[in-house]
Amino acid sequence: MKLSLNWLKELVALPEIPVSEIIHQLTMSGLEVEDFEDQSETYKNFVVGLVKEKKKHPNADKLSLCIVSTGDSEYQVICGATNVDAGQKVVFAQIGAVIPKGNFKLEKAKIRGIESNGMICSEAELLISENHEGIMVLDNGVQEGTPVSEALNLNDTILEIGVTPNRPDALSHIGVARDLAAIFKSEVKIPVTNFEESDVDASSAAAIEVIDTKHCPRYSSRIIKGVTIKESPEWLKQRIKNIGLRPINNIVDITNYIMYETGQPLHAFDLENLAYHKIIVKSTDRESQFTTLDSKERKLPAGTLMICDGEKPVAIAGVMGGENSEVTSSTKDILIESAYFTSSGIRNTSKALGLSTDASYRFERGTDPNGTVYAAERAAEMIARFAGGEILKGVIDVYPDSIRSQEIGIRFERVEKILGYKIERDKISDILSRLGMKILHEGKSELRVLVPTFRPDIEREIDLIEEIARIDGYDNIPAVSRISITLGEKKDESEFTTNVKETAVELGFFEMINNPLQSEKIASLTGNPVKILNPQSADMAFLRTSLLPGALHTVSANLNIAEKDLQLFEVGNIFNLNNKEEINDFADFTENESLIFVITGKSREKTWYSGEESIDLFDLKGFLKSFISKFSLDNVLQYFYNHGGNPYYNVCFSIKSDNSEIGAGGKVDKKVLKQFDIEEAVYCFEINLDKFRNLPVSEKKYTELLRFPKVNRDFAFIFDKSVTYEQVSDFILKNSTGLLKSVSLFDLFESDALGKEKKSMAFGLEFFDEKRTLTDEEVEKEFVHLISAVTKKFNAKLRGN
Amino acid sequence: MLNDKIKNLKEEFNREISEADTPEKLEEFRIKYLSRNGLLSRLFDELKDVPKQEKPLLGKELNTLRNEITDKFNSVKESLDASDKQRESLADLTLPGKSKTIGSKHILTQTVDEIKNIFKGLGFAVALGPEVESDYYNFEALNFPPDHPARDMQDTFFLSSSFVLRTHTTPVQIRIMEKHQPPVRAIMPGRVYRNEAVSARSFCMFHQVDGIYVDTDVTFAELKGTLVSFAKQFYGEDIKYRFRPSYFPFTEPSAEMDITCFLCHGKGCRVCKNTGWLEILGCGMVDPNVFKTVHYDSEKYTGYAFGMGIERTAMLKYGITDIRIFFENDIRFLKQF
Repeated sequence: MKLSLNWLKELVALPEIPVSEIIHQLTMSGLEVEDFEDQSETYKNFVVGLVKEKKKHPNADKLSLCIVSTGDSEYQVICGATNVDAGQKVVFAQIGAVIPKGNFKLEKAKIRGIESNGMICSEAELLISENHEGIMVLDNGVQEGTPVSEALNLNDTILEIGVTPNRPDALSHIGVARDLAAIFKSEVKIPVTNFEESDVDASSAAAIEVIDTKHCPRYSSRIIKGVTIKESPEWLKQRIKNIGLRPINNIVDITNYIMYETGQPLHAFDLENLAYHKIIVKSTDRESQFTTLDSKERKLPAGTLMICDGEKPVAIAGVMGGENSEVTSSTKDILIESAYFTSSGIRNTSKALGLSTDASYRFERGTDPNGTVYAAERAAEMIARFAGGEILKGVIDVYPDSIRSQEIGIRFERVEKILGYKIERDKISDILSRLGMKILHEGKSELRVLVPTFRPDIEREIDLIEEIARIDGYDNIPAVSRISITLGEKKDESEFTTNVKETAVELGFFEMINNPLQSEKIASLTGNPVKILNPQSADMAFLRTSLLPGALHTVSANLNIAEKDLQLFEVGNIFNLNNKEEINDFADFTENESLIFVITGKSREKTWYSGEESIDLFDLKGFLKSFISKFSLDNVLQYFYNHGGNPYYNVCFSIKSDNSEIGAGGKVDKKVLKQFDIEEAVYCFEINLDKFRNLPVSEKKYTELLRFPKVNRDFAFIFDKSVTYEQVSDFILKNSTGLLKSVSLFDLFESDALGKEKKSMAFGLEFFDEKRTLTDEEVEKEFVHLISAVTKKFNAKLRGN
Repeated sequence: MLNDKIKNLKEEFNREISEADTPEKLEEFRIKYLSRNGLLSRLFDELKDVPKQEKPLLGKELNTLRNEITDKFNSVKESLDASDKQRESLADLTLPGKSKTIGSKHILTQTVDEIKNIFKGLGFAVALGPEVESDYYNFEALNFPPDHPARDMQDTFFLSSSFVLRTHTTPVQIRIMEKHQPPVRAIMPGRVYRNEAVSARSFCMFHQVDGIYVDTDVTFAELKGTLVSFAKQFYGEDIKYRFRPSYFPFTEPSAEMDITCFLCHGKGCRVCKNTGWLEILGCGMVDPNVFKTVHYDSEKYTGYAFGMGIERTAMLKYGITDIRIFFENDIRFLKQF
């Protein structure tokens, strides 16, 4: 909200301190000053100028050459406006001035060969209105040379504060003045109303009936007859502009002014347009249509609180008035509405209509039910002064159940227990009094206060403690320099995930983080996705059901920038509906932590010492094997190879434990890749980490280091092509005594020389015994036995030797 | 006789060792003379057949011969090794090394890890919670009244009338307090979602770390001390800080913590919007209404809570100006960290 410092100074006496200190103190007491503008700074180097002469520019038809006097000097200036003329008083920007519109610094310039030493400005260039039709011509009575900030009353400082939702009182100058009074130990000077009333009773001119008193606990009104609608006086227009509003006419400007002064939203009705001169406040019982004063037809849900006259609705209560009853240039009689509407009702209406106004913003945060009459009278007083007319006698005030101030106690000991330091009792009661609280009783250990109704946020002792802390200043709270650490169960629930990520990094993978929000088409590829009811766009309307689409999206994006060799992983949550339409319970969906590896391109670049190598399925399998080993799960997980068994992979394998699938992956299917515009081969493997983390890991135990030599032998056979590596290696291990400890494949090839449908596999064998050195003879015996067994079993032929 | 053989061998080996000018030839030499079945060993074998009285003398001679051969062999080996080294030093050492790729965690993960480590050092546990959250945990239990503008502070993605994508990691505070009695001291990192248009400054999802400490004598002063310690470890010892009043439904009193802008050192710049200060986190004393929902006695226990955005933190720390780059996963970006 924008605040005028001049206005605030009328409401509270402030010490002679720089503006920066006021800004700092406001921020440090909870009203954060987000921005500010010192107008005299903005309009520095702008002075009133007198156009002494106007000639045509010798080289340009549309430009004028003017001589501008600032009293003590004269300047030659080129001006493009058609309305410039000799004898005018104008706003003259001197060299060095920063033109507000466009924020550029004015320098000496040559325009079509003629020097120009300044600029005659339009209102738009000064950002004081949107009028860019020619230059701004000032009243002739202003002396040339006068600073423009003085001549145009642009000598204010505008503070823009961020008001948190708990502080509706701070949405007004009086409210902020109250904080300043507490901060600077000053007093708030609330303007006293002083006006004459006519002999005619207001109640004879209009009748007010509140039917829905639940949503409208109070409706106060003042009536002014015989007003003249015209522009507001300059000072009022300027103030309205300074706080970021647009001046409309005297009545509207005054209602806005009082709202920004008191925080009470007001609405002015043209009394003549109210049928039977009646106001009825009630909620609609069905859906309806209504045209607001911005000429927009709006659909209202049933239950919307409306202000009606004797025949029809005339305003959406607390949100916006209707076109049918607004003040126009011919309006004579005014009914001022100053009501208290409950916050939740206005919030619901504002939400349903998607319409937030200055009024609804204040009502939904909570206005002061006991401030309505004051605001109505302040408005009536100003209307009588600036629009003429007479104020009818009395307030019409419908307030069946008055809302009273609340009494709260605050214990001194509790203040210290929460804040961690001691504040003097006198200071506590002083702060609370200055904030508008009435001290009812000051006991030995406790203070009892009455909280005014303009502070709906203060309901409990803890709320008072906050008030004390923020006004005393959080800077006064000490920062302890030592803490105690509780010894007990300390657990890091993210530890496993961290280990997973670190292992992937060790394997050379880079972590990606993809957006879990996807289109229905993409999210449905891999599961039954959860829908977002109010998405930003259809592209982000569903939750991902797998990490695969995100990974492929990332691959595709990188291929587009010619980054073709990728080794990426992601850990993230995936979501699936459990055969339900909607989520009403945690059992209606699953949320699982998932891990995906994705690789594509080359596993090795061509270098000076080796050739390049493309990634293939066995790279993926190798990574997976290393990953599983790192978690000591080699003996827990089994591999299954199911070509075509998975719709996303055309070569696929999975890992299972006790028949439960832990993860699956392979070479991604071309049709799937096509959806992501990928032509290159991509390999992925996705693991359900929630299952993976719960697999039974055997505890790590030290194994005695081998103290006897290993014996290595190798052999190669020619097999039928259909024989698999695993068949042979399993057979060898099964058919040997315990001396053979491992089998590895070190060569594999096919060739014409071997014959069609044949292949050669060469195996390395490792023999040892933990307790003794093996003899050549026993290894040889075992080796010969294996040769004949393999030959026989697979109809294989021993090669070489 | 053996005596002659010794003499012959001596001559033979002297000639051959002078010809052993490569490692291969030297190895042949070693096998021929010094191995288990080598010539020298065979002469030692013959020693057992010579008459007893000649044995000491011949034995001595043989030992001398063995020492001589071994010494010669070693000295030739050394000189060969030295020339080897010389040869290697002539190779082009400027050739690139045979490097291996090490991957990296996403910079956001690295940032969370750093924060986690600091708080673990301060005695905090680490707790996690779900991203699809009930309205109860995300709002109601955290003292957001059903029709209150405070809910507008966080634009929410709704999944149904009672479920949302969590808008902050604060619901995990409720979840741990439901499970444990005080003292409770934990941080809660995680992913959160906000229904905001995607731009350079905001994204529909981001990451937070929340923290909570509840015990019998927890004060605002301790909150300040703990967070100052964190900020100094994370942003540097020489930062200045301030706490200013703010509002969160689940804390009372509430505060925001600012540190001096480390880009302009408090002078004012574009990043700190000319204030000289950067807001790094929100915090406060746990609201008694929150304690009520988890059945803690707010007369007995007090506590503090805090929360910070990771993206914002990482953007400040690494000079990143567009939040979207975190989620584009451009490998050139990922490899920078």
